[in-house]
Amino acid sequence: MTTTPTQTTTGNGLKTWGLFLIPVVLLAGVIALFLVTSGAGLNVEPAAPIEGLSFERTILRAGEIEFHVRNSGPQDLTLAQVIINEAVWQFEVSPSATVPRLGQAVIHINYPWVEAEPYTILVFSTNAVPFETVIEAATVTAVPDGGTLLSFTLIGLYVGVIPVFLGIFWFPALRQLGPRWLMFLMALTAGLLIYLGIDATSEALELAAEIGGPFQGVGLVGLGIVVTFLLLDAISRRQVNVGRSEADQRLTIAFMIAIGIGLHNLGEGLAIGAAFSVGAAALGTFLVVGFILQNITEGLGIIAPVLKDRPAWLNLLWMGLIGGAPAIVGAWIGGLSYWPPLGVFFLAIGAGAVFEVVYEIFKLIQKDAAKRPMPLTLFAGVTVGMLLLYVTGLLIK
Amino acid sequence: MSTTHNLSRRGFLKAGALGTLGLAAGAAALHSGRAHAQDPTPTPDGGHNGHADGGMIDMPGFVGDVDHEANRFNPSDTLTDFNWGDRVSTLSSGQTLREYDFFAGDKDVEVAPGILFPAWTYNGRIPGPTIRAREGDHIRINFLNGSEHPHTMHFHGVHPANMDGVYEVIQPGERFVYEFDAEPFGVHQYHCHVMPLAKHIAKGLYGAFIVDPKDGWPKKADREFIMVMAGNDIDFDGGNDLYNVNFIPFHYDRHPIKIKVGELVRIFLVNMLEFDLINSFHLHANFFYWYPTGTSLTPSEYTDTIILGQAQRGMLEFTYRYPGKYMFHAHVTEFAELGWTGVIEVEA
Repeated sequence: MTTTPTQTTTGNGLKTWGLFLIPVVLLAGVIALFLVTSGAGLNVEPAAPIEGLSFERTILRAGEIEFHVRNSGPQDLTLAQVIINEAVWQFEVSPSATVPRLGQAVIHINYPWVEAEPYTILVFSTNAVPFETVIEAATVTAVPDGGTLLSFTLIGLYVGVIPVFLGIFWFPALRQLGPRWLMFLMALTAGLLIYLGIDATSEALELAAEIGGPFQGVGLVGLGIVVTFLLLDAISRRQVNVGRSEADQRLTIAFMIAIGIGLHNLGEGLAIGAAFSVGAAALGTFLVVGFILQNITEGLGIIAPVLKDRPAWLNLLWMGLIGGAPAIVGAWIGGLSYWPPLGVFFLAIGAGAVFEVVYEIFKLIQKDAAKRPMPLTLFAGVTVGMLLLYVTGLLIK
Repeated sequence: MSTTHNLSRRGFLKAGALGTLGLAAGAAALHSGRAHAQDPTPTPDGGHNGHADGGMIDMPGFVGDVDHEANRFNPSDTLTDFNWGDRVSTLSSGQTLREYDFFAGDKDVEVAPGILFPAWTYNGRIPGPTIRAREGDHIRINFLNGSEHPHTMHFHGVHPANMDGVYEVIQPGERFVYEFDAEPFGVHQYHCHVMPLAKHIAKGLYGAFIVDPKDGWPKKADREFIMVMAGNDIDFDGGNDLYNVNFIPFHYDRHPIKIKVGELVRIFLVNMLEFDLINSFHLHANFFYWYPTGTSLTPSEYTDTIILGQAQRGMLEFTYRYPGKYMFHAHVTEFAELGWTGVIEVEA
């Protein structure tokens, strides 16, 4: 993209810039031709209007329903009528019933909804195109006050911080293990993370399918995964190049795992908070226990690289917080101002981070294996790691 | 927000999340919010839509108004618009000849405020003109198909096969003359019979055909109304999105039908609903005499609700004793809230 820095003469620089500008000028000409001739010979009018509307946020208050919608179609869109559960209902739109492309509007409806009941809402555009959204179980949407912040903090605590720390508490016990078991644990961590990464990717793609066309959900997923992966990779290479001891490098990897898991938990927290704030979450204490069971493994994964070493307790504390606390932040964001494209991006970042950490672990394993190859231990560890998440998943779904 | 279901791991996670709340004593805010929702009565000043006087909750209904001028027809006029013939003469046999000019056309109709429906119409309106004659009159209909699609006119009545408007499909730009005697007396309809039939009817090609007995109806009505019940499939998915009387949903809810105490009211009721099997008519705070298909001079029932299958029709007669506003609507109640609701305003 840049001109070659070795050419210092201004004449050459100007010429290069000029050469760069020619296609840009031609492009402007082509666009102008299309605009002036309305299509330059192409029939650009569709047979039927193409419209898109994304429901980005649903807010329920006593006797009121509010939808934050975004025009995800190629043209302006005008909202005409609203039908709730097979009844035409009166509504107000602000700022305007005509929503520009990518523009937002808020639909306000006075409706006597009933706690815990489902509602199907149809919004018709003036072109009689229906857009549907569902409230799965109506409940008052959380508003940001001290009480709700505390609630979301507690959610994040249970979802992220506590399981991660419970895993870390295995540290003293695991230190007693021999090299074969340590190798097994590293492989197991890799297996866990591969499973998490695949899971997060699949969730990101599912959510991506639901956000509007202009936001290019799948592209957003790719962007999040690739960029996060390369960024973490670059950081870890820099750390290695600094030329510290192997123990320091292993500590760095442990921190990287914590960051990866933390980013993953951020995406999870976001989804939980969003689901919770619209009442789509079901009550069940035994599920929490199951959840802690499953996520304990995350803490285990964080400490696996440093079991041979003697990291400071403060380091372990930081790792636990980095790995777990983002779930709290995620729950806040998701619960109080959820925006689906952001959810997609965070899930993808989490997936990218987790995959990069798997890569780091395998580099570490490779180093150990160079001294003493244990292929079957590696195989068994990864398999058990993946199976662990699969089986705990079976128990709680 | 349909983004939150069937997501596997998150599905579990969110379930777990709420479980934590059950454990958490500090979740007071959410719980108090929930308690609030048990009684979701809107604030009294929340009535921003003209129904505030009612006090309680919003009534179902449209936002905005349909532009009847642009539509070139108004259900308030349709109600009492009976066409006894564009030209009336007497044949040499002494039989009365009633001639009508009909054309089919394609036209965008504003069916709900802001929503244009690409309709097919007879004479630019839905329902088409109400043809009215006496039993035994001779009917002649000069039909021109001005639509871009083939259409016909198929009458419910007694007539020869070639006047049945089924196999003689009239192509765009072509003409046809339907000729038959008006019989039997009663409440009937006409509609296009080109296949696919449901599509041609749902698009708007239908109307009422009323045949009075030779000597008129036994009782002299102070008011006679035509009501054609139908649905509006505005997104063409083979299911009705809205329901109506005389095509525009909620019209008589916004523009009540005015009558007076003690007047004998006669309603010719025709069900032209497609896609749904049954329709109904329920009159508030009153009972009516029901004449099925209008083919008997003796009512079959004294009731306040009548059920009609597709193409069924009949005649109602009633008198209001007390002044006030009275609803009438389909007692298939989801139809009522999707547009099939009206008001009769009885003046003292």
